[in-house]
Amino acid sequence: MTAMTTIERPVELKGTSIRSARAIERRRLLLWLVPPLAWFTVFMLIPYATLLYTSLGHVDDMRFIPGLSLDNFVRVFTVDPYLSVILKSARIGLMTAVFSSIVAYPLAFYLAFHVRTQRLKFLIYLLVIVPWWASYLVKAYAWKTILGSGGILNVGMQNLGLVHEPVRLFLYNEFSVDMTLTYIFTPFAVLSIYAQLERVPTSLIEAARNLGADGWMIFRRIILPISVPGVVAGAIITFSLAFGDFVAPVLVGGPDSVMISNVVINLLGVAFDWPMAAAIGLVIITLGLLLISASGWLEEKTQTRF
Amino acid sequence: MTTGIELRNLRKLFEGHGHASWAVDGVDMTIGAGKFVTLLGPSGCGKTTTLRMIAGLEMPTSGQIFRDGQDITDQPVTDRDMRMVFQDFALFPNMTIEDNVAFGLRVKSKKGKYTEPQIQQRVAEFLDLVHLKDHAHKKPHQLSGGQKQRVSLARALVTDPKVVLFDEPLGSLDANLRKIMQLELIRLHRELGKTFIYVTHDQDEAMAMSDAIAVMSQGKVMQFGTPREIYDRPANRYVASFIGHAHIVDATVDSKQADSLSVRLRNGDRVGLRGKADAAPGSAVGLMLRAEDLAFADAATDTIGGRVVDSLYRGEYVEYVVALNGNSGVVHVHARTDLPPVAHGSAVALKVNPAKAHVVVH
Ligand SMILES: Nc1ncnc2c1ncn2[C@@H]1O[C@H](COP(=O)(O)OP(=O)(O)OP(=O)(O)O)[C@@H](O)[C@H]1O
Ligand SMILES: [Mg+2]
Repeated sequence: MTAMTTIERPVELKGTSIRSARAIERRRLLLWLVPPLAWFTVFMLIPYATLLYTSLGHVDDMRFIPGLSLDNFVRVFTVDPYLSVILKSARIGLMTAVFSSIVAYPLAFYLAFHVRTQRLKFLIYLLVIVPWWASYLVKAYAWKTILGSGGILNVGMQNLGLVHEPVRLFLYNEFSVDMTLTYIFTPFAVLSIYAQLERVPTSLIEAARNLGADGWMIFRRIILPISVPGVVAGAIITFSLAFGDFVAPVLVGGPDSVMISNVVINLLGVAFDWPMAAAIGLVIITLGLLLISASGWLEEKTQTRF
Repeated sequence: MTTGIELRNLRKLFEGHGHASWAVDGVDMTIGAGKFVTLLGPSGCGKTTTLRMIAGLEMPTSGQIFRDGQDITDQPVTDRDMRMVFQDFALFPNMTIEDNVAFGLRVKSKKGKYTEPQIQQRVAEFLDLVHLKDHAHKKPHQLSGGQKQRVSLARALVTDPKVVLFDEPLGSLDANLRKIMQLELIRLHRELGKTFIYVTHDQDEAMAMSDAIAVMSQGKVMQFGTPREIYDRPANRYVASFIGHAHIVDATVDSKQADSLSVRLRNGDRVGLRGKADAAPGSAVGLMLRAEDLAFADAATDTIGGRVVDSLYRGEYVEYVVALNGNSGVVHVHARTDLPPVAHGSAVALKVNPAKAHVVVH
């Protein structure tokens, strides 16, 4: 009897029904939602709305005239060089993503499967991310000196007698932009692939070896398929970062290796055509959203469920 | 030349963080071809490590492993033709059930052993054997624990290995499924005639399935024998108390004949038992008394005296806890449920089955 009363009493004594308790909960929940909603409004909603508003107007005599015209969007796809620059940026992004994945995979693989001690793992991990403590500009400049006429690549080849004159092939072209961006963004691919490889349990590899599989077969049939989503995620990150880059093309790119961000900067700072810049921005953001959705779908599709 | 697996003074040292310990400490064992042998022992006693050394997944620190008289200690795991069933199943999550089972055959087919149609046929045959024909195209995450277990079994058996190694394969299954899978394993062992080396810490499972059991403790084999030998004639106190619910009471050898002996408890009660013991009259021994080998007696002659301190109704029988007179120890007694209950505190006389009572020296 006493046990029963102690169970039933508290609800009655408080004098609050379950429904009003829920209402309190809901009010409290709203309170918790205020900061993220405020953040979203200030940093996402308002800027995007402004961007859209700007892109629909035009500039006349350096003054912004509001409007509701889609002209700027049409120009993105019809007037040179916007579309071709977007495509070239995408090509540079793609090359960067491919090169980064190729460079990052073996390192991530080594880190995940061949480094035995936790300390060494941490050390290598650190070496991968430490370049991020150096300024972006410094790293981009470093590649200028590596690839340039007096750079170690040319000097080395001359000393080896491979060439007699400095080769100009390395610097001031699209390839040098690819190289520099690959160097700068590879750590993202390493971390993304490594995170995925870490999910492969040791017992899977032991089971495969127990069934007589050699290293290549284990890699091809088990590790590689499981690691695909990590490669996809890494490629998307490196692609996006490289696509929007505007420093590397200026420092190591040739006269024709202008990327879309450089174009936008010119429109903003030199031509003062803000509506056109906004339209390009929105097009890129839309393409980006499509890309992220597609890659999300691809990641989901290739993800191995354990 | 012996057929089967032979372990000679097998040892394994694990080092790390400035301290080292022997996970396996001198294991000698001969496992006959086609036998079902179980390594039984508490957690951390070195069962898995021993099994992994046999499989070639772990390199022994010292000692040797022979198969059919051939030293395979240094043979790589990929060449050993022994299949392991892992505790966590270790199914390849990115492959279908069919491809999981075919994996070992495709490895071999590289060496020209099977053609693709042969592989398909064999896989179907073995999926049928473990009753998973309808699940061939599913992925491992879509199966239940028991089904995964059977996939890993099929994957191991399909390559027709001579030796199959099991590391607590039923550990994650519920009691009912465990029973079913135990019967399944016994059936497969009988039908396929392969050597099964099985690791478990469940003694009922070990008893029910094995031809022989190695009871392990702290990296050593305490006794290696048939389930009956281990249960009825444990070699030492450790095995006696680990297997079954035996109670060991301190005693002294009183007199000894060719095939019987008599021991005296601390309170002076005498117990006669059949069999031999490696102890001279006057030496201290442990008397192993199991609940099912004790019964209440009316007369006080040839019995041991005690007092009922507790009773538990078990459905099948009533289990009484009896404190022996003179602080000589505590034993449990099973009594039929249709007999009148014995009140707590009552003095009782217990008769010992002389054929089943057993003394341990160490
Ligand atoms: N890789 C390892 N490194 C260090 N010590 C280990 C390693 N593997 C096992 N050990 C140690 O060796 C001892 C035996 O381990 P083992 O896994 O063989 O025990 P087990 O009998 O299988 O136990 P369980 O029933 O819990 O699986 C344990 O003390 C364990 O801590
Ligand atoms: Mg174990």
